[in-house]
Amino acid sequence: MSRKPYQPSMPADWWLKHPAYRFYMLREATVLPLLFFIGSLLYGLYCLSQGEASWLVWLSWLQQPWVMALNGLALVASLFHAFTFFRLFPQVMPLRVGSRTLPAGWMIAGQWFGVLLVFLALWWLLGAYHVIN
Amino acid sequence: MKQPETKPSDMQHLSVAIQRYRPEQDDTPVWQSYQVPYDDSTSVLDALHWIKEHQDSSLTYRWSCRMAICGSCGVMVDGTPKLGCKTFLRDYPQGLKVAALANFPIEKDLVVDMSRFLQHLTTIKPYLIGEPSLVQAGSASAGSDQPSSAALQPQLQSPEQVKRYQQFANCINCGLCYSACPQFGLNPEFLGPAAIALAHRYNLDSRDQGKAERQPALNSKDGVWSCTFVGFCSTVCPKGVDPAAAINQGKIVSTMDGVIQWFSPKQLDATPQEPTS
Ligand code: SF4
Ligand code: FES
Repeated sequence: MSRKPYQPSMPADWWLKHPAYRFYMLREATVLPLLFFIGSLLYGLYCLSQGEASWLVWLSWLQQPWVMALNGLALVASLFHAFTFFRLFPQVMPLRVGSRTLPAGWMIAGQWFGVLLVFLALWWLLGAYHVIN
Repeated sequence: MKQPETKPSDMQHLSVAIQRYRPEQDDTPVWQSYQVPYDDSTSVLDALHWIKEHQDSSLTYRWSCRMAICGSCGVMVDGTPKLGCKTFLRDYPQGLKVAALANFPIEKDLVVDMSRFLQHLTTIKPYLIGEPSLVQAGSASAGSDQPSSAALQPQLQSPEQVKRYQQFANCINCGLCYSACPQFGLNPEFLGPAAIALAHRYNLDSRDQGKAERQPALNSKDGVWSCTFVGFCSTVCPKGVDPAAAINQGKIVSTMDGVIQWFSPKQLDATPQEPTS
């Protein structure tokens, strides 16, 4: 008997079809608010090079609610991305101590501990800045 | 197959929708619903058997071991790749939809054509490639009554050396990971999860010397770099192989391989010698 295999095709919205794919797309979409954050930073650098008046314009631009909302979203997005990244990291680079593999949970905790250190360092730096002024 | 003690008529029934594709009459798959008696121990595969025995003998599907060993009963259950024999009706109180594994051509009903996957498996040379001198000694003594002593050397492995690759050796070639992988769906040339996991398995084996032969395929655009770490392959794998881990560890191996080749331009055709990572 002759064959007549049916060739399935991927619909353009395949990434909406399963919770696992939606989660993946959400992870990848975290880049969008981050792009905005980087744009804000570049805009600030440009203003800095244009002198004080322009710098002050940038500072007040930053304080507009919609800019703060988008940058807040960028913070949440990067924390979410970190959450997914930290979970994947032990799969990509399992750490071996002697003949044992370090439990994934330890590695994930270690990475969050690193984030905490960075936050504390920033906190301390900003605090020092306020003391000087 | 032995049915449970209770008569089917006394049992609860569940609606099981099955995607049918009968090449002699259908141009596209169609859904058909069946009411199937079930209890706590009824698997999707049992349900298929029941339908075939009692309602429609033309229903076509693959199975053999019915204990998650042979890897032949893969189907989509409510859109997720599963082994029919390891999935139970009790977990789908609202009924369930069973379809052929995604991303493969459908031959008939729940039977798919897996040849693409099998091709990819052979591409990565999924067997031990021995140390050349030992292999030569072995083939030189083949057919003679007295194999050379080198060929008889046992290739010992410590439990630690086994542990390095064992997880990736547990694959049963069910293909669920290929159905879970959108990159394979979009580009069937992608070597895909199980093949790359198996390549990694042999690359990690202390008895194997074949890494240089496998690496070109893994380094190519249809190798490890086609993976965007969706990670769903590892979620659906019934054997805990974690192919996504193998692929992404393979990206590190591939990068090292590239760096080493970059720094040794004069030895382009020499076998790259680097420690297995
Ligand atoms: S890696 Fe897992 S899901 Fe993929 S073929 Fe092997 S056993 Fe099946
Ligand atoms: S029948 Fe063998 S794995 Fe399901």
